[in-house]
Amino acid sequence: MSVATTPRGYIERPRPSGLADVIDVILDKGLVIDAYVRVSLIGIEILTIDARIVIASVDTYLRFAEAVNRLDITEADHQPGLPELMEEVTSGGASSKTKGVIEGVKEKITGDDDDDDDKGKGSSSRRRSSSSSRSGSRSRSGSSSKGSS
Amino acid sequence: MIYVYGVLRRGRRADVAAAGVEQAPVRGVEHGDLLALVSDLDGTVLAAAREVRAHWAVLDEVARSVTVLPVRFGTVLEDDDAVRASLLEPNAERIAELLEVLDGRVQLNVRAHYDEDRLLADIVRASPTVASMRDRIKRLPEQAAYYQRIQLGEAVAGEVARRREADASLALEALEPHAVASLVEEPRGSDGAFALAFLVERGAVDAFGAAVARFREQAGDRLRIRFIGPLPPYGFTDDELRAGSPAWA
Repeated sequence: MSVATTPRGYIERPRPSGLADVIDVILDKGLVIDAYVRVSLIGIEILTIDARIVIASVDTYLRFAEAVNRLDITEADHQPGLPELMEEVTSGGASSKTKGVIEGVKEKITGDDDDDDDKGKGSSSRRRSSSSSRSGSRSRSGSSSKGSS
Repeated sequence: MIYVYGVLRRGRRADVAAAGVEQAPVRGVEHGDLLALVSDLDGTVLAAAREVRAHWAVLDEVARSVTVLPVRFGTVLEDDDAVRASLLEPNAERIAELLEVLDGRVQLNVRAHYDEDRLLADIVRASPTVASMRDRIKRLPEQAAYYQRIQLGEAVAGEVARRREADASLALEALEPHAVASLVEEPRGSDGAFALAFLVERGAVDAFGAAVARFREQAGDRLRIRFIGPLPPYGFTDDELRAGSPAWA
């Protein structure tokens, strides 16, 4: 082996690792011989599933849209403004028309499981439910199917 | 039947310790100056996930010391005579040519993935179109926004594709000067950034590695970079054994 002359810390040693790398390197690569006998390769579809994700497809678009929608992006997100807004409304002084709009929005972002709370407790539950919806939007669905990292 | 792994120059040390497909010992079939690495096969069905490792291990071991042309995974011929008659003999010239060009060179793969959440957040911040589509959809009930969601996803995919292309160009710019040839392969998975393969002189692997380290530093935590090799020249023998010289030779 050749001796490295560059400072040690700046050299990266390439390395193979898991099955994903092996598949990535090997599948569909190398010399092809026309005359070869076909043997059945069991499970070859499973090996190629992850490899064949097409970025331009409706499935991918929907997945991207879902992923983008569940992101918790502070700069681009209007939700953090809502709790304050609601507090203003519930502390009185706003017109009934405004209140109706806010109620509509709140229903959408809180979801079904808050319904019971809302019935019984009135204004104090609003802050709770809005905060629970925020933590909900932050949770990850773990949809990534990649085995490698 | 005979399972075929690859072809190398006869006379080069090529005894293989690694077990082959179906745990069979690996041996050579010779013709002229060439030697095909093969093993005997009993069945007609192979468990792909296990045998793909055997295929890898055999070629990996041989490629550590000599140049070997990989044959595509799953290639099986009738018997030793068929290895000579359908592989070595009719393609002797082409194989010799490839062996000469690839001699003393190895393949190094550089793969990069994005952290998907971070990539998408960057896109929402950078693209007003995506941001406003996203805001609009958030106010609609899920069923009502089906087509809007497809449009949003399509816009996001467009941005992802643009970033992939830009990042692949950056990587090529940084690494190509240290390689003899390069290949742009299809990135895998929706979080794949780029998949590049480089043909590098054995003696230049460290210099290439240093360039990868610099590029990694430059990319920061935006990209998860994987550097894999040295490999037999899998990507540079993607060849259907017909006449003609490789474009990069």
